[in-house]
Amino acid sequence: MKELNYSYYPGCSLHASAGEYDLSTRELFKALRIGLTEIPDWFCCGATPAHNVDELLSLSLCAKNLELADKVEGDMAVACASCFSRLKTAQHVLGESDVKRKQVEKAIDAPVKLDSNVKHLLEILAKDLGLERLAAAVNKPLSGLKVACYYGCLLTRPADVPNLDCAEAPTIMERVIEAAGAETVAWTHRLECCGANFTLSRPGVVLQLTNAILESAKAAGADCIMVGCPLCHGNLDIRQKEIEGVYSTSYGLPVFYLTQLVGLSVGLGADKLGLDAMMVNPMPLLKEKGFL
Amino acid sequence: MKKKKMVISQETMDVDFVRKVEALSGTSVRRCFQCGKCSAGCPMATFMEHPPNRVVRLLQLGQWQRVLAGRSIWYCASCETCTTRCPNKVDLASIMDALRKLSWDAEGASKESYVQLANKLFLQNIRTYGRQYEMRLAAVFNVKSGQFLKDLMLGPKLLAKGKLKMFHSKNKNMPEIEKIFTRIEEMRKKGEAL
Repeated sequence: MKELNYSYYPGCSLHASAGEYDLSTRELFKALRIGLTEIPDWFCCGATPAHNVDELLSLSLCAKNLELADKVEGDMAVACASCFSRLKTAQHVLGESDVKRKQVEKAIDAPVKLDSNVKHLLEILAKDLGLERLAAAVNKPLSGLKVACYYGCLLTRPADVPNLDCAEAPTIMERVIEAAGAETVAWTHRLECCGANFTLSRPGVVLQLTNAILESAKAAGADCIMVGCPLCHGNLDIRQKEIEGVYSTSYGLPVFYLTQLVGLSVGLGADKLGLDAMMVNPMPLLKEKGFL
Repeated sequence: MKKKKMVISQETMDVDFVRKVEALSGTSVRRCFQCGKCSAGCPMATFMEHPPNRVVRLLQLGQWQRVLAGRSIWYCASCETCTTRCPNKVDLASIMDALRKLSWDAEGASKESYVQLANKLFLQNIRTYGRQYEMRLAAVFNVKSGQFLKDLMLGPKLLAKGKLKMFHSKNKNMPEIEKIFTRIEEMRKKGEAL
């Protein structure tokens, strides 16, 4: 079997508010014997603010990062759904428009790399490693854990850009976590927007949208939510207590990164998964289920 | 507020602006037949005075000033639901980007200032540090928007969880990153890019 090696683009959040996503990604990949080399000097992809007001800047920032990634062996492994979306969008747009490609090449003073493979962690686990090999590595199956898989917006939309899974009815998250032994619930809000970066400018918007997501997950009987995006995580986990206060309700739903839950199933301990960084304490649930 | 009556005439229709939006977004507003799927799926429509399908209708009629004057474009979350569901392949999310850019260039054409401030600080952070400095972003936003107490209770909890980093170092390749910004500025000065 071919050895798997990737150039790693963590994204800004993983070096700050989503430190546990970074930690659990590195530890999970180590446990699965997948090589991960952080791209030297990577910088911000521009995220939503850049493309919101300056597409050329957004495309250029992404193109430069793609160039930096090209110097490291392997396809690009991206953890954040927003970075993933921006990098894939840049490749898509620059592949379709010669005018924009020429402008970007002038801005970064280098040819644009369109052929490199940008992959979200989910894709690496489900397709490159494969669900069979993943299932074979599981030694502590998450039996009896009911997981609500939350995709949010950018892992699958728009249909012709990320090519991770079907835009309207994806199953990749469910397939990955079922391979880890967990159960998944069917629920209404797995593809709805959480409000993302409005958490800074208009948090009221986030409270309203995220409340609907938590309500739906709870109603479906989920024990917890699983995400693959630090922005979704911030809104669902960090703001959960505030939401419970504003809407006079109680959810108590731990929000895990996919690498934390999969990591747990391959036998990684709490210290290697950053479980103590979660705002909604997952320990009572994990102890009740006998995983820790 | 009393609604101003819309008058469609040669004088009020500005199609040149709409062409610019179409060039920037790489999509055509003329393909839209107003089915409304975009607005039906839009998570933010409830916060907008003009839901997505009406934004496109106003553009078809050359009434872009009405769109830019409102806050609709700044309340779009870029979730891409509209683009994904449009039966006529109108890339509405990109139209929103183009409108925001043209509004941004016109400086303060819109009422919505918080979202614009957040965007501005985010981009400044890239130019200064390379990677986002989340702590600074939140702190400067609160000061500049005059909301000193916003999320005040959250700060210590995030610090305790290691989710907010007090200190942040700059990227080593800052000169290269700065060059991207300056080259784009130069291209725009010379009229080589919008």
